Amino acid sequence: MIDRRTAGLKGLILIPALALAACQGTSQASPSAATQPPATSEPTAAPSSGGEAGGLVCVIVPPVENPFFGAMQQIAADKAEELGYTTLRLVHDDDANKQLELFENCISQQAKAIILDNAGADASVAAVQKAKEAGIPSFLVDREITQEGVAAAQIVSNNFQGATILAERFVELMGEEGEYIELTGKDTDTNAHVRSDGYHDVIDKIPGMTMVAQQTANWSQPEGFSVMESLLQAHPNVKGVIAGNDTMALGAQAALIAAGKTDVIVVGFDGSDDAIQSIGKGELKATSLQPVAEMAIQAAIQADLFIRTGSTGKPEKQSIDMVLLTPDNACQYEQFAPKEGAGSCS
Amino acid sequence: MTARAQAIRPRGLTRTEVAQVLLRGTALIALAVMVVVFGALSPTFLQLTNLEILAKQTAINAILAIGMTFVILTGGIDLSVGSIVGLTAMIAGLLINEGLQIGALGVIVYPHTWMVMVIALVAGALVGAINGLIITRFSVAPFIATLGMLYVARGAAGLLNNGNTFPNLVGRPELGNTGFAELGAGELLGVSWAIWIMGALALVAWFVTSLTPFGRAVYAVGGNQRSAELSGIRVDRTKLVVYMISGLCAATVGLIIASQLVAAHPATGEFFELNAIAAVVLGGTSLSGGRGTIVGTMIGAFVIGVLTVGLNQLGVSSFWQLIVKGSVIVLALVLDQLQVRVQRRIALQQQAHADVAPAPAG
Repeated sequence: MIDRRTAGLKGLILIPALALAACQGTSQASPSAATQPPATSEPTAAPSSGGEAGGLVCVIVPPVENPFFGAMQQIAADKAEELGYTTLRLVHDDDANKQLELFENCISQQAKAIILDNAGADASVAAVQKAKEAGIPSFLVDREITQEGVAAAQIVSNNFQGATILAERFVELMGEEGEYIELTGKDTDTNAHVRSDGYHDVIDKIPGMTMVAQQTANWSQPEGFSVMESLLQAHPNVKGVIAGNDTMALGAQAALIAAGKTDVIVVGFDGSDDAIQSIGKGELKATSLQPVAEMAIQAAIQADLFIRTGSTGKPEKQSIDMVLLTPDNACQYEQFAPKEGAGSCS
Repeated sequence: MTARAQAIRPRGLTRTEVAQVLLRGTALIALAVMVVVFGALSPTFLQLTNLEILAKQTAINAILAIGMTFVILTGGIDLSVGSIVGLTAMIAGLLINEGLQIGALGVIVYPHTWMVMVIALVAGALVGAINGLIITRFSVAPFIATLGMLYVARGAAGLLNNGNTFPNLVGRPELGNTGFAELGAGELLGVSWAIWIMGALALVAWFVTSLTPFGRAVYAVGGNQRSAELSGIRVDRTKLVVYMISGLCAATVGLIIASQLVAAHPATGEFFELNAIAAVVLGGTSLSGGRGTIVGTMIGAFVIGVLTVGLNQLGVSSFWQLIVKGSVIVLALVLDQLQVRVQRRIALQQQAHADVAPAPAG
C-alpha cells in the first residue's frame, strides 16, 4: 500500500516539470511554425540552398516584468522569426552571472546569433567575448558595453540627445525658473549618468532654475513614490520633478497627487505605454521616447545580414535619436513605436 | 511461533524497505528522469559540451550548498551566503584593480593573484565567523543573525566601489597580479576549474561529515543540542566552524564568478542563498537539523541545475520556470516527510518483531 502511494507521489513530483517542459516545448515550436507560413515560399528553401538564413537566434533581455524589455524581446524575436530563424527568448534578470550561463547555453546549442540587452556595461564583456570566440556574433541593443570590437553591433538610443530635448521642454514648462527635484536611476547603470548629464547640460545654463534635491529611486516606481513623499516634506514649494525614467516619474506623480500637489510639473523618460496614458490624462507633462521597436528590428535585420554575408555593413556603434512625447503627440505612439493610422491628439 | 514470525518478517520488511529506498532515491530518480526527458526533447542537451556547461553552472550553487549543508545539519540556516559572494567578489576586484592602501604611509600594495584569492577566502570565513559569534555568544536566532548579515555584507559590497563594477580584472604584468581570469576560464584535463573545485569540496565535505569526530559533532548538535552538550560536544565551537565553512564556500563562489565575468559587480549573488537552501533540502537534509548527507545535497544541486538549463534550452518562459522550480522543491519536501513516516513505521515494526521474537533468529 505504501509503495503504491509513494509511486504515485513520485510521479507527481515529475508531472509539473515534465508536462510543462513538454507542452512548452511544443508551444514554443508552434509560434515559429505559425509565423513561417506567410514566408514559406523562400525561407523553407533558404536553409538547404546554402543561403544560410535559418538556425537559432537567442534573444536575451533584462526582466520582462518591465514592459520595455518585454516589448524589446518580442519585437526582435518576431522579426528574426519572420526572417526565417527559430528563436530562444531568455531573461538574464540583470544578473551578469546568469547572463554568462545563458550565453554558454546558446553557444552549446550552436546559435547563429545572439541579440542582447545586457546586464551591465563592464560585467557583460566576458560573455560577449566568449560568444565571439565560439564564432557567434552578438548584437547589442539599448545598453552598451565598455569594450569595442567584441560585439558585431551596438545599437543604442541616443540617451544624451533624448535627455537634452526633454530638459529643454522641462525648462520651458517651468517658465525658466523655480525649484525642481531630480530623481536619478540606478547608480550602477551608465544610462542613469548619461541622462542626468544631458539634463544638466541644458538646465544648468538657466539661472532661474534651482535644483533643491537630487536623489536616486533606482528606476523603481515604489521607490519613486516613497522618495518623492519624503522629499516633499523637506521641499513643499517644489515646482517640477525631472526623472531618469518613466516608472520613477509615475511613482513621484502618484505621491504628488496623494499630497494634493497636482500642479507640480513631472517629466519622465522612455515613453512607456503607462507614461503615454498618464500624459493623456494630463498628469505627466512629457517624456522622451526610446526607439525600442526600431532598435530591436535593426538588431534582427543586421543579425540576418551578418549571418548571410558576414557583415552588417554598418559601424559597430549606432545611435538612434529619441522623440519627445507631449500631450500633442503622445497618443500617436504605442509599444515604443508609432501607432499606425493614429490621428492628431485632441 | 518463532517460525511464523520469521516467515512474515522478510516479506513485511522488504515491502517497506523498498518504499524506503524509492523514497530516499526520489531526488536521484527525478534527476535521471529529467535528464532522459530533456535529452529526448532537446537534441543538444546530452552533448558532452553541454553537460560540461551544466556541471560548471551547477558548481556555483553546489559549492554554496555544500557549505549550507553543514549549517543546516546543525539546525541553523545561512541567509548571508549570496551577499558574501558579492562582497568577496568585490574584495578580489578591489585588490586586483586598485590594490591595498596602507594607511598613513600612502603606499599601495598590489598583492599577487594567489594572495588576492587567499584574502578573499579569509574575508568570507571571517564574515561567517561573525555570523557564528553573533549566534552563539548573543543567542540570536540564525535566521535573524544571517538575515542581518545579508544586508550588511551587500551594503559593504556596494561601498567598496560606490556601487560601481570593478571592470577588466586582468591585472598588470608589471605588478605581477595577472592570471585571475584563469580560475574561471581555465581547464585541467579539459574540465573547468569550477568543476574540479566542486568535486574536491564535495569529497572533503563528504569525508568530514561522515568520517570525522567534527562531522559527528555537527550531526549531534543538529539532532539534539542538549544531549550533545551533555555528552561533551563543544556545541558553540561546532556552530562557529560551520558558519565559517559556509562563508568560505561563499567566498570560493565569489572568486569563481568574478573570474568568469572578469569583472566584479556589487549585486553578484543576489538570491543565491535561496537556491543553495533549495538544493540542500531537495537532497533530503532536514531543516530542523541532524539528518542529511553531502551526496544528497550534490544530487539536489544537480536537480536544480538540470531543471534550469533544460528549461532554458527548451525556451520555457521565465515565469513558468519559476513555477516549475517551486513545485519541484515543495513536492520533494512532501516526499521527504513521507520518508520520515515510513522510517518510523519500520522502527515500530522492528520493535514489534523484537518483542515477538526476542531469541536470535539463528
